[in-house]
Amino acid sequence: MTTLAASLDAFGDVPPRVSSWRRFWRVFIGRRVVILGAAIILLLLFVALTANFISPYDPYQQNLRNALQQPSAAHLLGTDALGRDTLSRVIYGSRTSLAVGLIATAIGGLIGMTLGLLAGYFGGLVNTLIMRFTDALMAIPMLILALAIGAALGGGLTNVIISLGIAIIPTYARLMCGQVMAVREEDYVKAGEVIGGSDLRIMVMHVLPNSLSPLIVLATLNLGAAILAEAGLSFLGLGIDPPGAAWGAMVSDGYRYLPTNPVLSFAPGFCVMLVVLAFNLVGDGLRDALDPRLRGTL
Amino acid sequence: MAHLLEVKNLRTEFKLDSGVVQAVDDVSYYIDEGEIVGLVGESGCGKSVTQLSVLQLIAMPPGRIVGGQALFEGVDLLQFPPESDRVRAVRGGKIGIIFQEPMTSLNPVLTIGQQIRESLMLHLKMDRGTAEARAIELLKQVGIPDAAERSDHYPHQFSGGMRQRVMIAMAMSCSPKLLIADEPTTAVDVTTQAQLLELLKDTVERLHTSLLIVTHNLGVVARYAQRIYVMYAGRIVESGSAKAIFGETAHPYTVGLLKSVPRLDAPTGRQLVPIEGLPPSLINRPPQCAFLPRCSRRVEKCFQEPWPSLRFVGEGHQVSCFVDLKEKPLELSVGPRRAGAPAGEGGVTPETEPGRRRSTGQPRETLLKVQDLHMHFPVTKGLLRRKVADIKAVDGVSFQLERGETLGLVGESGCGKTTTGRCVLRLYEPTAGEIRFEGQAIGHLPKRQVRPYRQKMQLIFQDPYSSLDPRQSAGDIVGEPLKIHHLVKSQGEYRDRVAELFRMVGLNPGLGDRVPHEFSGGQRQRIGIARALACNPSFIVCDEPISALDVSIQAQIINLLEELRYRLNLTYLFIAHDLSVVRHLSDRVAVMYLGRIVEMCDCESLYENPLHPYTRALLSAIPIPDPAVEEKRAQIILLQGEVPSLLTPPTGCPFHPRCPMALQECSEVIPPLREIDEGHQVACIRA
Repeated sequence: MTTLAASLDAFGDVPPRVSSWRRFWRVFIGRRVVILGAAIILLLLFVALTANFISPYDPYQQNLRNALQQPSAAHLLGTDALGRDTLSRVIYGSRTSLAVGLIATAIGGLIGMTLGLLAGYFGGLVNTLIMRFTDALMAIPMLILALAIGAALGGGLTNVIISLGIAIIPTYARLMCGQVMAVREEDYVKAGEVIGGSDLRIMVMHVLPNSLSPLIVLATLNLGAAILAEAGLSFLGLGIDPPGAAWGAMVSDGYRYLPTNPVLSFAPGFCVMLVVLAFNLVGDGLRDALDPRLRGTL
Repeated sequence: MAHLLEVKNLRTEFKLDSGVVQAVDDVSYYIDEGEIVGLVGESGCGKSVTQLSVLQLIAMPPGRIVGGQALFEGVDLLQFPPESDRVRAVRGGKIGIIFQEPMTSLNPVLTIGQQIRESLMLHLKMDRGTAEARAIELLKQVGIPDAAERSDHYPHQFSGGMRQRVMIAMAMSCSPKLLIADEPTTAVDVTTQAQLLELLKDTVERLHTSLLIVTHNLGVVARYAQRIYVMYAGRIVESGSAKAIFGETAHPYTVGLLKSVPRLDAPTGRQLVPIEGLPPSLINRPPQCAFLPRCSRRVEKCFQEPWPSLRFVGEGHQVSCFVDLKEKPLELSVGPRRAGAPAGEGGVTPETEPGRRRSTGQPRETLLKVQDLHMHFPVTKGLLRRKVADIKAVDGVSFQLERGETLGLVGESGCGKTTTGRCVLRLYEPTAGEIRFEGQAIGHLPKRQVRPYRQKMQLIFQDPYSSLDPRQSAGDIVGEPLKIHHLVKSQGEYRDRVAELFRMVGLNPGLGDRVPHEFSGGQRQRIGIARALACNPSFIVCDEPISALDVSIQAQIINLLEELRYRLNLTYLFIAHDLSVVRHLSDRVAVMYLGRIVEMCDCESLYENPLHPYTRALLSAIPIPDPAVEEKRAQIILLQGEVPSLLTPPTGCPFHPRCPMALQECSEVIPPLREIDEGHQVACIRA
């Protein structure tokens, strides 16, 4: 068919193209700040996993004679009111804090997104039920809600994670629902229906991927908030059981000594900031790398 | 005599990361006092940027006016900085501008009265009271009813056509010497387009203002412009009087444009000849003629020498082309369309037997039968969502389609044609009425039981930008129906079938791993068509499939649809607002108005003998791209007013408030669709 050949010619040659995985990586690591963020996260994970080996002291070993020491060669970040080595506690605290942040965000995010997806996609009664439920949860501040759940479940790491996870559900559900309602009106969703796709297929294949961008950003922001919220719960006695080390708890323990030993609060606080920053950078990179509009241009 | 506005050798560039875009490349034109001039070109050819450059309204940076002059009343505007008082006094004062999108060019938080006053007080230094009175007077002049009251309304309270009238009033507020109308009617319906163009013409004639119409629609300029400039890829490729441009067309691009638009007055057998390929990217363009890759008249010289400058080929008629088309004139309108081998340049060669359709005495098989279809959308109010009214989007529509037939469904926006199409596909469950597909009643089947029919009924969307999932690759989009309906057994078969579908719509299968935004509008529409064809449907609803595309691309898609129809024996319900496109593709046409079919008949009889006054008005509103024909046409039937709201439809015949033939009786009874001639149905008591 000569006409076919001619028309293909008119549409130009097909230039070589990188595979989508390679392109994903190219965009993802193409920006320095994203690499920086990823490096920080990897470093923190490394620290958390090897805490036993790299911490200079036992984080739980009290030594009241050595209490509230300023940073020195022996104790790089000084000691706390019970004479425990701050650096070791920061290192061990990374385990608790990363676990709380990541798992709580994952639980809350997954449940919230699922609820939002269902509410936004089906609308009507489903929407009313789910969204009024999240409205009710939203009326209560996140910390108070976590506190109430924590009070019912009791303290401890697992319960902190569960209560924080539940507390952040409404934010995700609300955002997801709004996104889905907008995406649902797009013609390509109608097209999915026209070609005979089931609701589940349309939801998972078309609606979900196109609604996700702002939720990735929200998740990276929420991570830090969850880590800090753990401090609030710990402060009120519903968080990590003493003598467990967690950054949030350390910040709140240290604040009484702020004028004399600022490093007690600053060191774990700096770590929290570092985590939030790193996840934000990576989240931005992830969002861009997944954005099809940047395909072919990068 | 000096020209009112004379632009000389204007060059504008945009600096992007990927290179320099020569948006306006050595453009010269002029407008005399009281003249109506047309500037024609497809999107991205630089016609708007040219106008914005003259007024220094382009974003700088990345834009930059590199050279040239814009002499307005003998003074070069480009010598002054963009924000200088001299330029400001001209902008909106001596030169008025109307933009394409009336939705975005009016400030939504100010009343239209305030917005007109602002300009009057700024340029003419009027005080508030005088300006207010003048604003109301202007609104009256552009035909806004109850002008005094309406001037306190906000833009969202006006329809698109009314907003464009407000824009005209605003542009005319300071009695400019020149009015630039940038695609003034692209976003509105044909009847509104006719109203607006007549209004523009009357206004400029009355005030002796010059008018520059920037448009992609050749018909618009044929009816109104005295002189025409044709632009392509940032350059003017042909200029001359309207008669010369249409009568002695000298540039292959202009010829291509004329041959690729469906015309109301052309013989029915006329085959559209698309301009193949895509408009060029303006980034780092080679020095040769930019039309060269798409040109059917190219000669060796074109490849070797840079783009030729304009040369005279007649009195005031200039062209930028080496080839003399007068020596080798092009025959407009080629052989019969329905029979024989069409050009097939959309990628497939249809296997048609001449005269296969209709004339063969085969028994007709009814594929689709729609009976008394109603689709009402509830309007709810208040906290408890009480239903307060119904929007009767489709109000008693009946028609049937035989296998292999194409029914055109025409009407202005909001008449319910899209809703009808979506009801037929069971994307909505109709409020009442029945839909029979292949004899099976599917109108009220539950969603799950409709799914098997989805293989046989498909939809081609209007907007190729929003109808493809931006995150899926083109191959996945086309292949998805195959997976859903388990039409392929292996991965290899899947790949082969997707590649076959790509070829069927004239796309290179190698492009399968790209995402939609990497394709142009026309290519995206091809992907949408390939998706619709994936599961071998017998019936396709085409919902304005070409209205979002460029003129030269439209013909490619029309031809493709036509070829596919013959090759795959498809049945189309072709929805459009454009009667000339429908005429080209359809066997029968149904005209809709406010949720009802007002006239339905054979394609030929509708155009030769339209019986309903609405059909007549629609036909008369379509401009024909040929000034010679336009001159001979009878007076345009201008419809008064606008399509009424579906919430408060008129009593009796829905058309009677706008009908030039309405009687007292028309406001009382709704005329039923009755058969006048064989197969010619009309809903009008005066027909």
